[in-house]
Amino acid sequence: MNWKKQVIDFIETRLGIRDILEQNLTKYLLPRNINAWYTLGAVLLTLFMIQFATGILLLIYYVPNPAEAFQSVERIMNEVPFGWLMRTLHAVGANIIIIALLLHMLSVMFMASYKRPRELTWLSGFIILNLAFALCLTGYLLPWSQLSFWATTVATDAAGAIPLIGDDLVRFLRGGSMVNEATLGRFFALHVMGMPLMLGLLIGFHLFCVRRAGISRAPFGPDYQPREHPDHFEHEEHHDGIPFFPNYVIKDTAVICFFLAFFLAIVFFAPNLFFPESAFEPADPFVTPPGIKPEWYFLWAYQALKIFPSEIIGLGVQGAFMTFLALLPFIDRGAERRPFKRPLFLTCYALGILLFVGISIWGHYS
Amino acid sequence: MTTHVTPPQRRKFLFIILGGVGAAFTALAVWPVWRYLLPREKTGEDAKIPIAKADIPLGKAHFFSFRGQPAVVLQPAPGQFVAFSAVCTHLGCIIQWQPGKGECLCPCHAGRFGTDGQVLGGPPPKPLDSLPATVEGDQVLVG
Ligand code: HEM
Ligand code: FES
Repeated sequence: MNWKKQVIDFIETRLGIRDILEQNLTKYLLPRNINAWYTLGAVLLTLFMIQFATGILLLIYYVPNPAEAFQSVERIMNEVPFGWLMRTLHAVGANIIIIALLLHMLSVMFMASYKRPRELTWLSGFIILNLAFALCLTGYLLPWSQLSFWATTVATDAAGAIPLIGDDLVRFLRGGSMVNEATLGRFFALHVMGMPLMLGLLIGFHLFCVRRAGISRAPFGPDYQPREHPDHFEHEEHHDGIPFFPNYVIKDTAVICFFLAFFLAIVFFAPNLFFPESAFEPADPFVTPPGIKPEWYFLWAYQALKIFPSEIIGLGVQGAFMTFLALLPFIDRGAERRPFKRPLFLTCYALGILLFVGISIWGHYS
Repeated sequence: MTTHVTPPQRRKFLFIILGGVGAAFTALAVWPVWRYLLPREKTGEDAKIPIAKADIPLGKAHFFSFRGQPAVVLQPAPGQFVAFSAVCTHLGCIIQWQPGKGECLCPCHAGRFGTDGQVLGGPPPKPLDSLPATVEGDQVLVG
């Protein structure tokens, strides 16, 4: 075992890894009243790693060409050993990631962790959420099934309602007037290279923000006192806190296992939960299948477009809502973070979730 | 009777249990990925490859793909067909047919092979792998 010690000593003398580990594990103290919702970030990191790994594996057999894409996915599902596993993990994983992203966002929102000094953490997270939506949208086209083709047609068509530039924008998104080979080319490039790269950078920035500002104290319990953040930079210290390792790592691991169990239960017992009938037919540009609906997380937007008398109003309202969410920390600036001392916020929060769920269900059945 | 477990013993026990569970899950995850990545055997792998006699005129060579590897079939004498792998036994370049000389030349380091696949000169250490070729009607079956 002496060589092991020598290797470790060699690296230690040069890079001082032990110190970094200590600062970020055992000496990294978290607020005493931290709760399970703070594990969602670690859950998301795990899920994204799985998505990356399965995505790279799928690329080995996937062919990004309208003539062969559908067949290549069929081959992955039916012939390549464990191809069904990799693809189902990837396709179901995308849905689980969206669930985890939404929960993460709602929990930091409830605890008002987006407030000063964490505005940039929120903003980068919000961009990550949108990037994940865009990854789902572009990935959806790749199997080149009827579902892929028509869902993409409908989704890109919505951009046409924007005045003046609408038609040109649709053409630009599709790389032509209709969804075709060119669309697959650009969506493929974005899905496997462009957006994962941006996503990686943004996740790095998000984590940097989290670490630099320090974890926020949960706004609950008798000891919690809201306080103004000073005008200069200040790392939020928790001298009486609990160590990240091993205390919180255990909790992270437990919730990650819970998510993986839920994830794998769908993969093994309900693999087709997210695949409607039209996902199993190759794309046919001349036949629109009846009742094409977007994925569940886009239903609210789909229905919102239908409710308003004109598409442009619908798009405008959606755009305004998303902008409001993005800028939330710059709009809601009071120091108070305790949800029950913020009745207006709490009402909007609850109604907002009900509205999202309600409109989505309406969209599903309409 | 109370049994006393010391912290180091507890630590060791937990380490072994967690390590074991971790190793089992890792193996469970690695196995599908390994199988997924293994080169896949093509079906019909042992089928014979038919080549029309008309494609192999006297003194000429016909290159084709044999079970995923380049191969060549020759007609050195009327009605006599021979086939061998076109992969040079030196460093794996693909040999060329030299109609004028009636022999094969490897372009990489000038290895030379006769129409029976034997080494005539150059660095190749052993003859080209020969493939069974049989005549059936107007076809030559290789394999
Ligand atoms: C490096 C990262 C990634 C790579 C290399 C990758 C690669 C691929 C490939 C090759 C496909 C086509 C095969 C198939 O449809 O199953 C695909 C599909 C898909 N991807 Fe990704 N992907 C990555 C990340 C993501 C992320 C982060 C998400 C979402 C959050 C995502 C969501 C999807 C979706 C929804 C599909 C369609 C699944 C289906 O309907 O079959 N991907 N991806
Ligand atoms: S590889 Fe053919 S002679 Fe060297």
